[in-house]
Amino acid sequence: MSAGTLRAGRVAFVIAACTLCSATVFAQGLSVDDFTSTRPTPRTASGKPDFSGYWKGTRQTRPGGNIGKDLPGWKLPLTPAGEAALTHNLTATVDPEALCIIGGIPRHNASGLPFEILQGANKIAFMYWYSYFRLIPIDSNRKHSDDPDPSFFGEELGRWDGDTLVIDSVGFKGEKVWIDENANPHSDALHVVERWTRPDADHIHVNTLIEDPKFYTRAFTYSRTWVLGKPDEELQEYSCSENNVNRDHLGFGPGPIRPDGTRGYVDPAPLPPPIPRAPAGK
Amino acid sequence: MITRLAIALTVVAASGAPLIAHHSFAAQYDATKAIRLEGTLTKVEWTNPHTYFYLDVKDESGKVETWGCEGGAPGALSRRGFKRGDLKIGDTIVVDGYRAKDGSRLIDARRVTLADGRIVSGASSGDGGPQ
Repeated sequence: MSAGTLRAGRVAFVIAACTLCSATVFAQGLSVDDFTSTRPTPRTASGKPDFSGYWKGTRQTRPGGNIGKDLPGWKLPLTPAGEAALTHNLTATVDPEALCIIGGIPRHNASGLPFEILQGANKIAFMYWYSYFRLIPIDSNRKHSDDPDPSFFGEELGRWDGDTLVIDSVGFKGEKVWIDENANPHSDALHVVERWTRPDADHIHVNTLIEDPKFYTRAFTYSRTWVLGKPDEELQEYSCSENNVNRDHLGFGPGPIRPDGTRGYVDPAPLPPPIPRAPAGK
Repeated sequence: MITRLAIALTVVAASGAPLIAHHSFAAQYDATKAIRLEGTLTKVEWTNPHTYFYLDVKDESGKVETWGCEGGAPGALSRRGFKRGDLKIGDTIVVDGYRAKDGSRLIDARRVTLADGRIVSGASSGDGGPQ
């Protein structure tokens, strides 16, 4: 990203911050499982939906962190090259995110981490824990570059389709990337089309089309809904590389994947029983 | 290093905290190797992406070894009531967790019994680890 783009981005952040304030001041805050909302979709001065807000995942997103969530048995349509790439990820790579490498898209959409959106008139910024962000122009006249420099978020172009914000991305890196927390792969041929909607004040939804002819035999989709955070919830500083002691202790791959499609052990050993606290005054 | 057994009481769970999963529990820790450490607090790193605190622990032979304990990110811990000021150098604390797969003296600190007897969760929520 050029210095000019960064400067433009900072200006957009400031402008959009005003929008964010107006959008969240009246937010009531829902529990993560509350899908009931009677408040209408907030809109910008141009009449388009305003996605600004702090967005949190819900327990209904199962299995979390798995890009195959919406497929039967969470079975991804891997090509032979994709199968080989998955095996490589599982047996020879440490989770890039744990090494403080940007997770990129679509991984961030499958993450359990909340994120924050600031929306301006012609740009929208998605800001993530780890202090990463992506800044996307909203301009239907822009076309993809002939040979974009590969990046973790890709070359992202935004446009409106009615009340739906469409983000079309190409130009991804093909190394040091996992497409999700389970070490599934993507190649540099990845093409992602996100369709974002805000059906009411308290929810945003994405329907993601994922194409990668090198690693997947067909396109597949990933859909998800987030709920608006409470007014006092926002991103905090989170320096991934400040003290990443664990990078020297991590094994390859995510570890075992449970039958429910999430990473982790099925039957962990119990911890020693808690120590009873002495009664007050003794 | 497991120096005492105790009767079950309560565990402070990590409920309500945002999911801050920097890495998979299962990529680093062995869920079959639960462990209890009781020792003297020698160093605290209240840092991202994880907190670390270090204990001098006597083994059965009386030899003192330093163990590292990995906790959740500062923001996640403080939101559940586990604050930097709860850990003071020289405190005797008890940490229950799981050993690193690589055999190093590093554990995932799922449950911490502070010097004042309070029990707090040190876990990184959303990492797929035992809750």
